[in-house]
Amino acid sequence: MFVPHSEIDLKKMFEELSISSLDDLFTHIPETLKLNDGLNVPSTLSELEAISHFEDIESKNTQNLICFAGGGHYDVYLPHTVKTLTMRPEFMTSYTPYQAEISQGILQILFEYQSLICDLTDMELANASLYDGATSVAEAISVAINKTKRDGVVVSNGFNPNTKEVVNTLVDTKKFNIKYVDLVDYMFPEDYIFTDSDAAFVVSLPHYEGSAQDLTTIVQNAKAAGVITICYVDPSMLGILKTPGSMGFDIVVAEGQSMGSPLSFGGPTVGWFATKKELARLVPGRIIGESRDANHTKTYVMTLRAREQDIRREKASSNICTNQTLNAVGSTIHLSWLGPQGLYEIGYQAIQKSSYMKQQLINLKFNISNAHNSLREFIVQTSRPAEEVILEMGTKGFLAGIKYSDNEILVAVTEKRTKDEIDNYVKSLNEVDNA
Amino acid sequence: MHSGGNASSLPLVGGAPEPTINQLSKPGRRASRFPKLDVPVTEINNPAIRHDKPSLPEVSEHDLVMHYSRLAHRNFAVDVGFYPLGSCTMKYNPRFADFVAGLSSFSNSHPATPSAFTQGNLEILHELEKFLIEITGMDNATFQPPAGASGELTGLLIIKKYLEENGLSNKKDIIVPDSAHGTNPASAKMAGFNVVEVSTDVRGMVNIDDLRSLVNENTAGLMLTNPNTGGLFEENIMEISNIIHENGGLVYYDGANLNAIVGVCRPGDMGFDIVHSNLHKTFATPHGGGGPGSGPVAVKGFLKEYLPGPIVEHNDDTYEWYMPKSSIGRMHGYHGNFLVALRALVYMRLLGKEGLDTLGSYAVLNARYLSSIISKVIPLAYNEPCMHEFVATVKHLKKSHKIKAYDVGKALLDKGFHSPTIYFPLIIEEALMFEPTETQTVDTLDDLAETLKVIVEELQGDDVSLESYPKNLPVGRPNELIPAKHLTVNWGDFELLEITE
Repeated sequence: MFVPHSEIDLKKMFEELSISSLDDLFTHIPETLKLNDGLNVPSTLSELEAISHFEDIESKNTQNLICFAGGGHYDVYLPHTVKTLTMRPEFMTSYTPYQAEISQGILQILFEYQSLICDLTDMELANASLYDGATSVAEAISVAINKTKRDGVVVSNGFNPNTKEVVNTLVDTKKFNIKYVDLVDYMFPEDYIFTDSDAAFVVSLPHYEGSAQDLTTIVQNAKAAGVITICYVDPSMLGILKTPGSMGFDIVVAEGQSMGSPLSFGGPTVGWFATKKELARLVPGRIIGESRDANHTKTYVMTLRAREQDIRREKASSNICTNQTLNAVGSTIHLSWLGPQGLYEIGYQAIQKSSYMKQQLINLKFNISNAHNSLREFIVQTSRPAEEVILEMGTKGFLAGIKYSDNEILVAVTEKRTKDEIDNYVKSLNEVDNA
Repeated sequence: MHSGGNASSLPLVGGAPEPTINQLSKPGRRASRFPKLDVPVTEINNPAIRHDKPSLPEVSEHDLVMHYSRLAHRNFAVDVGFYPLGSCTMKYNPRFADFVAGLSSFSNSHPATPSAFTQGNLEILHELEKFLIEITGMDNATFQPPAGASGELTGLLIIKKYLEENGLSNKKDIIVPDSAHGTNPASAKMAGFNVVEVSTDVRGMVNIDDLRSLVNENTAGLMLTNPNTGGLFEENIMEISNIIHENGGLVYYDGANLNAIVGVCRPGDMGFDIVHSNLHKTFATPHGGGGPGSGPVAVKGFLKEYLPGPIVEHNDDTYEWYMPKSSIGRMHGYHGNFLVALRALVYMRLLGKEGLDTLGSYAVLNARYLSSIISKVIPLAYNEPCMHEFVATVKHLKKSHKIKAYDVGKALLDKGFHSPTIYFPLIIEEALMFEPTETQTVDTLDDLAETLKVIVEELQGDDVSLESYPKNLPVGRPNELIPAKHLTVNWGDFELLEITE
């Protein structure tokens, strides 16, 4: 299938090669290695048959769960305009833009992507994407280690546990000392003392638990000790939160799913990475620059290539090659579609609806662990085991949130949720938890 | 030209430079609309809240659509023309796979949804694992790695942990051919290994004598792709893997060139212990302008418990997540690039046994044919039967006319073809590496060879300015020094530079 060769084509090609069958192509391969009976896989399906095959599997997922889960991935409305433009075949089926002259489309969009992210975070240089938020945190820590040549890494405990697991995999824990610092009342302690062996300080804005604080003083303290400060930010809240740059951070990373990608069961999404120009030569991944051709026509091109694996091999700043370009295209078009008012509204409505939901829960005697400093995401306490509650809420049509502890659920509200959905959720949770 | 649009017409529209979305912005314009807030307003009191609006462009929806559509017209793609791009397997990406990936609960599941509600998603990964381990000859697989390089790192971390648990932490050397992809040494370094290069012999294969001299008690493993980056099948592969195994090392298969052997032979039968596959190459998922990819890692049974997890297990009638006992940990925030994996499964299902058994054969047929007709225009680097790709060289043209591989690539762009991969592998001077894939017609291959002939003659002419190629595209060769030196990586940077210089 998708092989175009007709009998006439084969005859012509076999003649050119003086062979009489496809098998004759492989006379140099040891006979013992050849698959004589071929592969043990099912027979070909026509498109028509494949539709029912895959629709059948798809139907085994519980359909239309109303999503109150977050933790980095948010059910933000993704406009059709953004989806259809992103999936234009000229973008979707193109290769990495090494040949600038025939890749100005992708190159310019990635340049816009970098610029938009810098504007939104108050940074100076963004790369053209990393795999996801979790791996971006690990890459940022590597930059800090390379810059400072120190071996301590201070990480706020207010992170999605999966992100911490990725950091533990990708940062050599035998060589580097990762110190996880507990939040106090859901805030990173203002009086935390950094030492001159700390390479990096990594914190999430808002914290995984949904609480947010102005981190300016902590960043100042870290920087006074020569520590590289890294902020992991929720992009869909950037319309309403102070920028990481204004708080003084050196590096900003993000899980960019909520800007331009569907939830996708977690992938493909996109990792944002932005920093100051002084760290340019340590940045992982591809970077697009603006230049001119011989006729002084504006031309975009991949730049600072001397950092990358195909040139520097084992001395590269990272091994990353293929990244998440198409998701970065999605972020670009989504942010342009939103504009300042739209991005503000996503954050504002999420916080308002979350406040309403917390109040409704409190009215029914639920305890919210972090009611007062949380924004769009918060922790609700359950009397029954959180796992059971989440499973039962599923039968009522809700993805209730993410299990936070044995008796706590992390609940996220996006601008997409309606008052009715929230009211029904609260009513159902009350029934389930008091059953 | 016989092959129609993809070779005979220029697909890219020129015209004036496209302004940035920021230059199209006018205060007060907007595309977005949201429902009115339907809950009572509360005062938001948090010191992290800002009181001004974020900085973003303000454009109408029509302006936005026109802008990005115009940019699409300035981009080459598989749907537009032929990429004879070695090592990248730029084959046709079936549209149907996008339809399946768009089915509601596949594309809209939150990654933290309990497995009880995502049985369909887990079934997809399980079914894909079955295909993948059969095709590669392995026993278990993980879909966490989001790209090939991440798959390589996964494999190396598995080797590291396996050696540690077996009291072999002294083994620190990873052997990599001097012809290897750049990600191989970069990944080995990232995993904390020493990189040891093994040379290539005159036939273009791993130099066995050199390999024997490099292997010792410190050898942790070997990274190899077969066929190798010269497009040649390593005929002594069993001897190679035996040499490594005899010294207690593991053998890693870089799946970048897997397309050549699908249905022909399997890495698992050649002695490889770990295999990563690039689903965006071999299994036809769209390359997306540089990603997303997907780099699942498959291993022999004795390494299953080291895989990054969770992985999918099938018990009775349900699918469940399972965290391998000695797992190296997570490589991705959730389950890797799930929708890419799904598209790959759709492709495998459509091909089925009939298509997969002959996949490698047709890929090799096209490459062998193209190498035969191109060898009449420029010489090949090796006098050996190629697999799915081959390397030619223009070092003679560089000597006689200062024509570099780069110039040939740029001139091809003018004729509606993507350039082949150039200057790779690094061990071949003025290399042009061609990989046609199985989805191109013989007419297109003929057109490429014919076009190359025309170009090579044209470039040798008197008064030819090589730097002026390509001539017929929206832009010519970019000045690569300006952005590298002045970091013009943000809108406004270049204009600022012009004012200050």
